[in-house]
Amino acid sequence: MDMKISNDEPFIKISNLVKNYDNGTIKALNGINLEIARGDFISIIGPSGSGKSTLLNMLGALDNPNSGTIQIDGINLEKNQDLSEFRSKKVGFVFQLHNLIPNLTVFENVQIPLIGTGVSENEIEKKAKNLLESVGLKNKLNQKPTKLSGGERQRVAIARALVNNPSIILADEPTGSLDSKTGDVILDMLKKIHDENNVTLIVVTHEPYIANMADRTIKIRDGEIIEDCLNN
Amino acid sequence: MKNPFRNKTRSALSIIGIAIGLATIVALGLITGGMQESVQTTLNSGGAEITVTEANSQGGFGSSGRLNESFVEILANISGVSSTAGVLSTTVQSSSDSQGRGDGFGSMRGLSVNGIDRGKLSLVGIKNVNGTLFKEDSNEIILGKNAAESQNKTIGDTITIANTEFKITGIFETGNMMSDSGAYTSLKQLQNVTNSDYVNYILVKTIENTNSSSISNNIEKKYPDELSTITAEEQAEMINSAIDILNIASLAISALAIVIGGIGIINTMIMAVYERTKEIGVLKAVGWKSKRILGMILGETLVLTLVSGIVGTIFGIVICEVGMMLLGDSSSFSLAYNLSTFLRAFGVAILVGIIGGIYPAYRASKLAPTEALRYE
Repeated sequence: MDMKISNDEPFIKISNLVKNYDNGTIKALNGINLEIARGDFISIIGPSGSGKSTLLNMLGALDNPNSGTIQIDGINLEKNQDLSEFRSKKVGFVFQLHNLIPNLTVFENVQIPLIGTGVSENEIEKKAKNLLESVGLKNKLNQKPTKLSGGERQRVAIARALVNNPSIILADEPTGSLDSKTGDVILDMLKKIHDENNVTLIVVTHEPYIANMADRTIKIRDGEIIEDCLNN
Repeated sequence: MKNPFRNKTRSALSIIGIAIGLATIVALGLITGGMQESVQTTLNSGGAEITVTEANSQGGFGSSGRLNESFVEILANISGVSSTAGVLSTTVQSSSDSQGRGDGFGSMRGLSVNGIDRGKLSLVGIKNVNGTLFKEDSNEIILGKNAAESQNKTIGDTITIANTEFKITGIFETGNMMSDSGAYTSLKQLQNVTNSDYVNYILVKTIENTNSSSISNNIEKKYPDELSTITAEEQAEMINSAIDILNIASLAISALAIVIGGIGIINTMIMAVYERTKEIGVLKAVGWKSKRILGMILGETLVLTLVSGIVGTIFGIVICEVGMMLLGDSSSFSLAYNLSTFLRAFGVAILVGIIGGIYPAYRASKLAPTEALRYE
């Protein structure tokens, strides 16, 4: 993996990013250029189908662009290389539908990202326990996710996203399946994690009020950035 | 470890499918092993190498033919022969004994009684007797271990042969299932009570390091119209060829078990991977390598097939043991618990696991994370 680290470079640098689907008939991202500083809280807003989730997937190395480059923390996310290590060490994902594994307990779900990474079992368990405590689920360790409320599941997902000490958290509509009150609790939690740990937080949403909580909002439509503004 | 059993019905069905194949492998292994052990004991018993029967008599083991007893002496003088013994065989239907220890159910069981000179018992492989040997001039008899069990008799009991009571003086064990299921008494006494003056066959022991088959050929050449011979090796070969057929059947069943079990497992695991597409997407998103996912699915498949191995082995043993119980103690046959039988069953189980698991595991490992995550 290319590990060129330079202090002058922005934390995330995206150049001329293009992503097409269905042999080019659908242009999901159409030449995105973007720089993000370390520790920023960014919101990406746009209507459905605008390409915001595609952009988030590219940032998380879940998908490859057709052209253009992405550099995160000095690492070039190039096609055809095994990016699982990058995801394992740098990224924490929070999905709209939490995506917990139903037959594993809350405690086991949080441990998943660290299994097989060389971290000792004791340390994994300690970390998972601490994180679940910090999201207020200390007493639900051995519950199955199906027994939890939507908000609780999302809190488990947040604990899972943090267990590998990521430098970037990517949240795709993290409150999309929650009522507004629970959604606010989740957002507060994410913001607090961002403030306390200097983690770069990128939230995709279509709710303007959530977008406005970020330091900076990027508006996307038809695969292009149409507005990039700092919030007060 | 929990994953392979998430869909209990599906897992149970594929386990049963493979287990049946493996049970057959284990059962055939136990049976052929038993036969092989017996053949081996016969060859190593130090008994007679050649059995001489009446020429053209029916049955390779020659209990139906009649031979003039004078041949016992004649054959002993052939060069290379160390000793000979005439044997008269008869089958008695034993009834419940006088002490009432018969179990009613098995009170009429055939017992092969053989008459032989007391000094020639080594030719049938009898070296040690628990109790004492029969005397030449009295109605005494010794019983093989299996025969004693099946007849429910012990030393001091009697057996009736041609309306004459014979007292059991000893119990012997040779390891050869045929011998151990029979009884031996004095040839003279048996001839007396059955009014016979002939023997059914003659056992010939050769001098050490002589070629028994050439001696056997010599005997046949010398008395082409009267005598027919079979060597212990030829007998063993006959049994071995039967064992070979069972071994081939076992191999064919192994192959079938691999194919059928493999297809069943592929189906089960493809369905499992399909159902867990989203989960696999999550694992990839949190940084699991493709290799790890491949290993996970392959591991789950192996857990399934190893459980099948355990179930199949138990099933195979139970079938054989129940079969043996139904045959009763009188069967001149015992099962052989060889490690190789179980290793073969588990080898097949692991092979089925690898063959059946590799494709679903490969498919899972190649899933694109974004597509897997979108999967509903």
